[in-house]
Amino acid sequence: MSNAHDTLASERRRKNILSVVLAIICVIYCLPVVAVVVNSFKLNTYVKTDTFALPNSESFAGLSNFITGMTFGNYPFWRAAFFSVLITVASTALILICCSMAAWYIARVNSKFCKLVYILCVFSMVVPFQMVMFTLSKTADTLNLNTPWTIPVVYLGFGAGLAIFMFVGFVKSIPLEIEEAAAIDGCGPIRTFFCVVLPMLKPTLISVGILELMWVWNDYLLPYLVLDINEYRTIPIHIQYLKGSYGTVDLGATMALILMSIVPVIIFYLACQKHIIKGVAAGAVKG
Amino acid sequence: MAEVSFKHVKKVYPNNEKKSRKKRGDAEKSTPANVTDEGVLVVRDFNLDIADREFIVLVGPSGCGKSTTLRMIAGLEDITDGEITIDGTVVNDVAPKDRDIAMVFQSYALYPHMTVYENMAFPLKLRKLPKDQIDAKVREAAETLGITEYLDRKPKALSGGQRQRVAIGRAIVREPKVLLMDEPLSNLDAKLRNQMRAEIIKLRQKIDTTFIYVTHDQTEAMTLGDRIVIMKDGIAQQIGTPHQVFDNPANIFVAGFIGVPQMNFFDADLVRTGDSYVVRLGGFEVAPSEEKQANLRAHGIKSQKITLGVRPEHITLAPGETSCLEGTVDVSEMMGSSVHLHMTSLGQDVIAVVNTMDATDPTFADRHNVGERVEYAFTGNAIHLFDKETGTNLEF
Repeated sequence: MSNAHDTLASERRRKNILSVVLAIICVIYCLPVVAVVVNSFKLNTYVKTDTFALPNSESFAGLSNFITGMTFGNYPFWRAAFFSVLITVASTALILICCSMAAWYIARVNSKFCKLVYILCVFSMVVPFQMVMFTLSKTADTLNLNTPWTIPVVYLGFGAGLAIFMFVGFVKSIPLEIEEAAAIDGCGPIRTFFCVVLPMLKPTLISVGILELMWVWNDYLLPYLVLDINEYRTIPIHIQYLKGSYGTVDLGATMALILMSIVPVIIFYLACQKHIIKGVAAGAVKG
Repeated sequence: MAEVSFKHVKKVYPNNEKKSRKKRGDAEKSTPANVTDEGVLVVRDFNLDIADREFIVLVGPSGCGKSTTLRMIAGLEDITDGEITIDGTVVNDVAPKDRDIAMVFQSYALYPHMTVYENMAFPLKLRKLPKDQIDAKVREAAETLGITEYLDRKPKALSGGQRQRVAIGRAIVREPKVLLMDEPLSNLDAKLRNQMRAEIIKLRQKIDTTFIYVTHDQTEAMTLGDRIVIMKDGIAQQIGTPHQVFDNPANIFVAGFIGVPQMNFFDADLVRTGDSYVVRLGGFEVAPSEEKQANLRAHGIKSQKITLGVRPEHITLAPGETSCLEGTVDVSEMMGSSVHLHMTSLGQDVIAVVNTMDATDPTFADRHNVGERVEYAFTGNAIHLFDKETGTNLEF
């Protein structure tokens, strides 16, 4: 009796310790976001001195940091936001359409070519961007892929690995009989894909879409290397221009711009949260 | 409605394993009989003429080529050799959508993102039928199958039986020339399977189409089919009505496959004396019926060792008779109206079906205990004589 009581008490103690440890990790993860939110409403001088303090009557800057962030320099913020949205939406859409079609082909056509393409796609996931960035920027220049309208092609190349890996896993779990039924019902390959396969891929489309969208939206290095930054800037590139010529940085305005840039992604993520979990788990078990 | 015809149809799958084995130089390993240099022979020289509105059942064990044959009619598998015609038109190279056929799959193959209504309307939409016609046809088919109340539901909200009805509905709504069914009841439990079997029989009476049905269940084959095609190793072993294949099996395989419990087989001697035949089995002798004797004479069958087949239902317990066989009861399975007696007799297992019901005596019960010795016999018109070497029926 006493033994059982001891076991129960030690189990409870173990759970309490685990809860405390997890809570600390959670706070550590949230701290940068909290710091960004808090400091975006503080005057620049207080950002450095009272970084984690909440804004008070003395340090509260209202919306002035947001206004400064959107109006500084001679490159309009709305233009950077427009290119960010354009590149993100176009790249994500291109990745989703092209990779889902390619994955369907790879999963259904049993040939050596398809296996090779699949292996190459998976391999591309382990190659770091830094390894190829200089040759890539040269190639992008040569092929005129250095504008916001053409850079999605470069993103397609980099995003295809993960997207095809996830799509192939899901397509393989779709019973072939459904596509055969569509063929008998009167569908050709294109209609089978768009009317039958693509709607079934919805959970994976959403999870791949979120992952790719977050990556493209936050990406700094690729547009910085490829685009003519005097002409075309994305929000991450635009933010770094808040740094003054003598190394001075308007931290309040920087925080405000960072907050503005992460809010859309967080809202999108929260709206699609349940689908991302479904999408990641979908390919694992055959329903 | 359509006639379907197979002429010397053959299907070979390329055999990569054989090629790689040759490369490795270990070709001396034995290969299965259906694996040739060409590849794996799945269907060989298949010939069949299916009449308009006929209900044909392809039955056989797993891997016998029945589903491949069905898929070749659907256009889901290429035909290696031979010809398949639907209403006189060769369809070897015709796309599935242009064959005017419909198919019901074992796994239902419903579109999960569409409602029942949308699933059934989908093939009609693709044929660009007006909306009011689509609606009328879908509702009529739903009424026939009793699924009207589920039209707004998604497949995941339906039970197995309801899903199978939707799959059948999607197939019949188009009024196809040929309706193909690939083991449609295999995923259902025993009770639902019996219910759906009866519904397929009723459906068949309502719609004018040719049915081709694939199953591994001989009960389904016997109850549904106008004719049954029994297949093994890609070869049609026998084609005939349920009565023909049950009463006159063409070979040992068909005899063993059709009928539950399976037919008993004994090593026996067929002795011809002049124009008459007698079968000797241990000390037991039985003379084939006159009809069987005439068939044996017509084929010039001589005295030889044979395999004797007797269905369990045709074995009668014969206590005290002078000419009979003896067995020891190993297992007695009570099936309700009958008992299946598993016995050891002549050094082998023998099954007998013993009736436990008597309309004139409700208290009648023929019970036998394990270990009990019983005497049994069978008559000359209930025996089947097979060639010892080839397994073919000597009467054929």
